[in-house]
Amino acid sequence: MSEKQRKHSIFDIMNEYREEFETLADELMASAFSEGPSWNTETCCLQALSNVIITPREVIVTADLPNIKPESVKVEAVDENLIEITAKMKKKVRFADLGIDHRQGEFSSLHCQGRVHVAIDTEKMKISFNGGILEVRFPRKNRHKSE
Amino acid sequence: MSESIRIVEEKPIPSEATMIIGLPDVGLVGLIATSYLISELNLEEIAYMDSDLLPPVMVLHKGLPHAPLRIYGNQNLIAVISELAVPVPAIYPIMQEIVKWGQAKKVKRIVSIGGIPIENRQTITEPKVFGAASNQELLDMLNKSGLSIMNEGYIVGPQALTMRYSVSKKVSAIAILAQSFYNYPDPEAAAMVLKELSKISDIKVDISKLLEKGEEIRLKARDIMKRTQQEMSRMKKSQEYDLPLYV
Repeated sequence: MSEKQRKHSIFDIMNEYREEFETLADELMASAFSEGPSWNTETCCLQALSNVIITPREVIVTADLPNIKPESVKVEAVDENLIEITAKMKKKVRFADLGIDHRQGEFSSLHCQGRVHVAIDTEKMKISFNGGILEVRFPRKNRHKSE
Repeated sequence: MSESIRIVEEKPIPSEATMIIGLPDVGLVGLIATSYLISELNLEEIAYMDSDLLPPVMVLHKGLPHAPLRIYGNQNLIAVISELAVPVPAIYPIMQEIVKWGQAKKVKRIVSIGGIPIENRQTITEPKVFGAASNQELLDMLNKSGLSIMNEGYIVGPQALTMRYSVSKKVSAIAILAQSFYNYPDPEAAAMVLKELSKISDIKVDISKLLEKGEEIRLKARDIMKRTQQEMSRMKKSQEYDLPLYV
């Protein structure tokens, strides 16, 4: 078999697909975990950890919100696919409080965004806050009738 | 495989000690619990891991540089922690080296501490703790001590490899795992692990300070949790949710 023919065997094609898939997966991973600080001294915000879970019937967005005033939690739909969560802290936190002396700044709120890739009904969201964890449930729109 | 990894000893290493391993993993349970132990028992740094498989990172504490993967100890206890999410390609040789080193130091037992991810963690006030062991004798000991046994299930990552290499090297090892958040730092789960650890060993610490500092720890641990989550995704950690088939 010639070199050219060998290159186009089914295994080569599968390998090419696999490499493309791995590259795509790496890109997705990189975009999901973007590099950069988890704080913003201009907006006085710390970035909260968050999660988006998509089930057949609903989308559940959770966020870890330690040290916040539960009554200050705001959940907003920035657009059809982007949910924004903000909450004010019980007391301001300075870099020094976190053991960091070489930076200056203080933080008064926690903030995060969750991207949702399916249609959701933002007007029917249900919010609960338990043990410092915020949970927001959105019913999905446009579900198939068979579901 | 181990050529590019070495454990550099800075102080005399005790023999017949219990070796606790708390590396970044689900809910950072192992790391939080082991760091708290180190601080409460005033353990001193006795060794560190040097490896070009780890990212080029040093951690500064009180102005002095430290290796991210370090070993602390006293006469009876050795504690291994990492302030760095261990990259997946490095995890095999690193765990192998840690177990091999423990065997060379004649450790009495390896105790691997970690979390078991559960989806409804926020509805649980007091996370349950489960144990697993490298042999039947140890499993019976855990049972007699009243620790619930994780009878069936997958463990993935540092605990899995600790078990694998401990079994192959005939080193006694147990895993103590608390129900925890998957990708949120979980100091409460860490506290529950330490509570159970005190029942099966003579390692006893007051966990009240850990519970009091819970919110502060959750704020400080966000970055290492995020990086650990990346590595957990790469090692298919979510397989711990799976149901094993053994007919």
